[in-house]
Amino acid sequence: MLLKKERLNDILTDMAKQARVYVPVSPDANDGGGVGKSGKAKMTRFELYSPGTAPNFDLVNTTMPPKDMLFPQTQKMYRYGFDTEGNAYIDIIHDSDEVVIFGMRSCDARSIECMDDVFLSMGYDDEFYKQRREKLATVAIGCASVAETCFCDSMGLDPNAAPGADVQLSPGVDGQSYVVVAQSEKGQALVASWQPYLEDSTAETTQVSCALKVNGDGLKDKLEQMFDHPIWEQLSKKCLTCGTCTYVCPTCHCFDISQENKMKDGERFRCWDSCMFSAYSEMAGNHNPRPTKMPRVRQRFMHKLCFFEDRYGKTLCVGCGRCVEKCPVALDITMLIDDIQAADLSKAEEVA
Amino acid sequence: MTAIQESIQKRAAELLESGEVTQVIAWTNGRFTNQTSPLFIQNAADAGKIVFNEYCVNTLAKYVLNEKIAGKVGVCVRGCEARGINRMIADNQLKREEVYLLGIPCEGMKDRETGEALDKCLTCTHKNPVVYDELLGAEVTDTVSEEIDKVRFAQIEAIEGMSREERLEYFNNVFNSCIRCYACREVCPVCTCRECFVDQLRAGWQGKQNNLNENRFYNLIRVFHIGDRCVECGECARACPMGLPLMELNRKWIRDLDELFAAGEEGLSDELDNTLGRYKTDDIEEFM
Repeated sequence: MLLKKERLNDILTDMAKQARVYVPVSPDANDGGGVGKSGKAKMTRFELYSPGTAPNFDLVNTTMPPKDMLFPQTQKMYRYGFDTEGNAYIDIIHDSDEVVIFGMRSCDARSIECMDDVFLSMGYDDEFYKQRREKLATVAIGCASVAETCFCDSMGLDPNAAPGADVQLSPGVDGQSYVVVAQSEKGQALVASWQPYLEDSTAETTQVSCALKVNGDGLKDKLEQMFDHPIWEQLSKKCLTCGTCTYVCPTCHCFDISQENKMKDGERFRCWDSCMFSAYSEMAGNHNPRPTKMPRVRQRFMHKLCFFEDRYGKTLCVGCGRCVEKCPVALDITMLIDDIQAADLSKAEEVA
Repeated sequence: MTAIQESIQKRAAELLESGEVTQVIAWTNGRFTNQTSPLFIQNAADAGKIVFNEYCVNTLAKYVLNEKIAGKVGVCVRGCEARGINRMIADNQLKREEVYLLGIPCEGMKDRETGEALDKCLTCTHKNPVVYDELLGAEVTDTVSEEIDKVRFAQIEAIEGMSREERLEYFNNVFNSCIRCYACREVCPVCTCRECFVDQLRAGWQGKQNNLNENRFYNLIRVFHIGDRCVECGECARACPMGLPLMELNRKWIRDLDELFAAGEEGLSDELDNTLGRYKTDDIEEFM
């Protein structure tokens, strides 16, 4: 099936009547804002679509990943307290909206597969995640171009295809249309609802590949022998231990649970946390097993490239390049991968 | 610039060779064109990795705090680094003899995305380092301060010219977009508390939710804590992954302190002279 770009707004408007639809938006497109005028951030992200919203499907990647729709930076879990008769209560907060993320890239689609592994496998379902996941449908658009920081095809992904998404749109070489393929039951239902706007034909689609290549082969096996390698000490010197990389990362999923109380009532919530922060690993009695930068930096990269693969059989880095682009000190995971591949393992043995 | 780069490489190698310093902090190439990244070398043989060009956007001052533990640190200082170092000495975070300062005159850096002058360099008032052990290269001329001040305070004046409602909307937009990654705190040479109020979880000053209230609270307290100590290196705004105009909050303070107490610029010497921490009998007392 073929979807002409000029019909996109019809589809989005239709879908927005049934569900909350999120599309990539750059702030400039909507209000001509930007810093200096409206105070709005220069960044791009997925925002709720309503008629009048100008989606930007040409962005290679949004600054912020779409993980917020499944795993919000702050998610209220339940309210508790005493009612007027003095009885304790707990009210679990449910999310009941159908959500469609429209226009994500292969990297973001894979990141949802990673989060599914974390929250919905190994014998435990996280009910807050599950609730949102069951109501989520994803529409991926193949990349018509790549950024210099993109390296997903080195991490085992394909910028032209996102098998984990419910619907795949592949840009036609004419730049005017998308070839539409439903990839799941949810996807079939979505595509069926778009029927009035689709054409029963096909087109030649663009095929891109990333300019930035790294060698992702055998990283886990090598890293398993590198826990005590001097590479981490040197690498971590430049790290500021801010949370930028973890917050712009589509797969970072660590959270903290906290609560706020007011008089007789309170709310418990969970919110993103970052392994870069000292408080992340601080324990009761102030003991901190990762007291300095080095073990925190090591943890982040080990988790991405070694521990996760060990547990779930895939790497936790999807090669979206957001951390590469946004790190204020250019601490670049792709350069680290090069360094790991080049590392001399005899040095690790000396230290150990 | 090539000459300066060669001088840094040569002096770094000599300083490491002689044992005068245990480490040199400079810049090296990143993966991409026109990209650099901070570099830490301990061996003279690595001095060739040092790069100095117009894309050395990182201000290196803050790194000294962590690295001095291992011994005397050699560090490249331009105007922004030098003022940060002075401020850290004044704040008792650092002793002058713990650092060896390789002074570099700097004409300003460029943004690799646009190729234009870097935002923070447009408002630079000290292109030459204000403290150094040796200067590698000829001093450059500072832009006339009246010219700089037009740029420096342009946005403050624009904000002051807004109506109350417009101003509220402006700052709500800023704080709504903050993701509280704390890059602004980590990169700041005057944010030197061993334990930040944000991390005092049991006291609970800063709630962990990301919402407008908490974000506003964090950003305003950050500015209050930096208060009269900001050296205007502009790293907070440069490091912000959301591109928020964080320096404007600092500049409002700077301007008010200037007008009320003739505070002047920070970090020009390593003497402790906190505008808000001292009392002078001729201080302005409009409200009494």
